[in-house]
Amino acid sequence: MQLIIGNRNYSSWSLRPWIAMKVLGIPFEEILIPFGTPLGNPAFRQRLAAYTPAGLVPVLIDGDVHVWETLAIMEYLAEKFPERGLWPAEKKARAEARAISSEMHAGFSALRSECPMNLRRPIRERALSEAARANVARVEEMWGDCRARYGGPFLFGAFSAADAMYAPMVARLNTYGVKVGAAARDYMETMMALPAWAERQAEALRETWIVPEDEADWPTVLTA
Amino acid sequence: MKLIVGNKNYSSWSLRPWIGLKAARIPFEEEVISLYVEGGREQILRHSPAGKVPILIDGDVRVWESLAILEYAAERFPGAGLWPSDPAARAHARAISAEMHAGFAALREECTMNFWRPPARRALSAAAQANAVRVQEIWVNARASYGAGGPFLFGTFTAADAMYAPVVQRFIAYDIEVSAAAKAYMQAMTALPAWQEWRRAALSETWVIAKFEYDWPEVKRLPAEAV
Repeated sequence: MQLIIGNRNYSSWSLRPWIAMKVLGIPFEEILIPFGTPLGNPAFRQRLAAYTPAGLVPVLIDGDVHVWETLAIMEYLAEKFPERGLWPAEKKARAEARAISSEMHAGFSALRSECPMNLRRPIRERALSEAARANVARVEEMWGDCRARYGGPFLFGAFSAADAMYAPMVARLNTYGVKVGAAARDYMETMMALPAWAERQAEALRETWIVPEDEADWPTVLTA
Repeated sequence: MKLIVGNKNYSSWSLRPWIGLKAARIPFEEEVISLYVEGGREQILRHSPAGKVPILIDGDVRVWESLAILEYAAERFPGAGLWPSDPAARAHARAISAEMHAGFAALREECTMNFWRPPARRALSAAAQANAVRVQEIWVNARASYGAGGPFLFGTFTAADAMYAPVVQRFIAYDIEVSAAAKAYMQAMTALPAWQEWRRAALSETWVIAKFEYDWPEVKRLPAEAV
């Protein structure tokens, strides 16, 4: 199996299935297609077109099956590796895990556009719009609620696809010094303590490509 | 099992699981809550912390988000055929469903779903035109690869068709030019008894939401008896 990803530093969508497979012990090869500039440039699109008609990373390739869209990749993995626990085993928990995963898949646009994922950016606080602050409040509420009801340390007890869906959110809240409560901070620390997290972070720091659209301080590029 | 939906005229997200369940002959009760009216949001929040319709309630299970509802129903009613049975087809169906779930922002923004709008052409931005092209490409590719067994994306009706149902209505209401193949698919969708049932209910509604009416303060609407 191969996973086609974008830049490790910036591609929040690529991080999701990548971290799920790493944490849950599903072996795969990576193929990285750098975004280049500007985002959506023809060279990137052309290289990606060999793998997917939708023009977006990530893409999972398993023999002659090509799956695009993060959520669809998670479902594919859940079916192919039922013993890996991509989704919680219990029906109600599984339904909720899928609901919050979908909520992430299509939501929180203010926070996502104001705080692009950028793993190498040093932690610096950034002023957020009211819409982005409402996004943060909803994320905190959801994390707190899931961990209280399912016992933590991850959203549904053990690590699941839902945690993978929120991994970039953890990175954003951390990088932009967003003020969160102790419970949310505790969840973020749990995620950032994963060996897979450290691996990804180290790889991201080795990248030298700069994507201006994802540099919140542009034309300044903050690096650690 | 109960499905909480928003206005049938405007709520595209509500249409998706509703038509998915109906077309798959899964029985459910429904409750309609109007969006953007005094107290509407509070009413929705009582059912779901995310504050959005649709919401499926099944005993002590509450599922929000259209895709999660369709996945839940597919698991609960494995004989209903909500996803294609072939794994490659199923992966493809989920990919295009997720693409709909998070994409096509320009088209959705410029052509909000509105069942009672008399069809009239609307000029689209380049981004929305690109969305319309990609949607038709998705339909034609799925039909060509998997559609041999019937008129829908994967032959028989699946959750992927449910996800694209509102786009069919947008293409009709805003008179978007489409290929013959796309037109044939749209006709299969609008011929569904479930589609007609939803449309009848939409045309009979009285809640008017100004921001979804492009001719506001004029509200152009097909008469309810036009169904």
